[in-house]
Amino acid sequence: MNLATPVVDGRPAAPSGADPLKALLSTYDVHVPASVVGELSTATGSGDLLSAAAELVLNTSHHLMTHDVEAKIDAPLEYELDRDESDGIWLANDLEAALFITDEFNSTNYLFVSLALDDRNTLFTTPHVLCKLASRGVLPPEYVDAACSYYADTKHWDEQYLTRLRDEYTKG
Amino acid sequence: MAEEKTRVDFNAPASIVERADNVAELLNVSRTQLLIDALQDELDELINDEGFRSRLRDAYYDERIDFQTVKSVLGQEEAMRMKLLRASIDRDPPEPQVIAELPSDDEFYDGEVPVWRSEGAADDEDGESTA
Repeated sequence: MNLATPVVDGRPAAPSGADPLKALLSTYDVHVPASVVGELSTATGSGDLLSAAAELVLNTSHHLMTHDVEAKIDAPLEYELDRDESDGIWLANDLEAALFITDEFNSTNYLFVSLALDDRNTLFTTPHVLCKLASRGVLPPEYVDAACSYYADTKHWDEQYLTRLRDEYTKG
Repeated sequence: MAEEKTRVDFNAPASIVERADNVAELLNVSRTQLLIDALQDELDELINDEGFRSRLRDAYYDERIDFQTVKSVLGQEEAMRMKLLRASIDRDPPEPQVIAELPSDDEFYDGEVPVWRSEGAADDEDGESTA
C-alpha cells in the first residue's frame, strides 16, 4: 500500500511522473495472502491518504495472485509479527519466493521478519526494489530519488540507509 | 552477581564538583553514585535522540564503528537489525521482467486512479477559486 501512496498523493510535495506500484506489479509476479486483500477493503472509505492508496491497490487486484493462507495455518508465526505479516511470510516460505518486500526496516520488526523468512536472503526493502527498478530503466532514477525523499519525510525512512542504497546503485 | 567495576579518574571544574557534592549530600548518596546516575541518564537520553541515532547509523554504515560498539550502545536487537540491513545493501534483488513500456493507467488499473489532497490544501474552503 505504501507504493500506492505517492501515486494517489495529490499534494505538491509528492513525487510525480511515474508509478512505483504499476512498475512493481508489471515487472514481478506478486503473490499476496487473500487476507491482505480483505484488509484493503476495510481500509477504504475513510477519505484519508491511506484509504485512497488502498483503493488504488484494490484496482490492481487482477494483477495480484492471491492465496488462501489462513486455511492452511492455524497460528501466527513466532516473533512479534501481526497476523497479516505472518501470513505473508508463511506464503513466501511456502512458495519459496525469491523476494519478500518490506518497508518496515526502521524497527526491530525487520529483524523478526528476516528471521521468520528462514534466513534465505530474500528480504528486500521497498527502496531497494525501487533502486533496482531504476537501474533497469523501469522507473526514472530522478523519480526514485524523489520518492525516497518523500518516504523519508512521510514515513521516516532511515536516511543514512537510503543514501547508502542510492550510492550503491548510482556508482555502477 | 554485581557487574565488574572500572576505576575512572578525571579532572572536572571545581565549581561543578562542589555543586555535585552539595547535591549528593542533600540526597544522601555518594558522589560516585550521583555521577553514575547522571551518566546513565545522559546515555539513556542520547540513545533515544534521533540526531544521535542517525550519527551512529552513519558511523556503522561507513564502517567507522563495529557491531560490538552498536550493540553496547543500542542493544542486541537494534544492532542485529542494522547488521542485517547493512548486509542487504550488498545483495541484489531478483531481476524484474523488463518490458518495453509500462501499460497506461487505463490498461493497468481497474477503475480510476484516486487522487487525495490534504485538508490543509483545501483549508480555505471559501477560496475554492484558487484550485
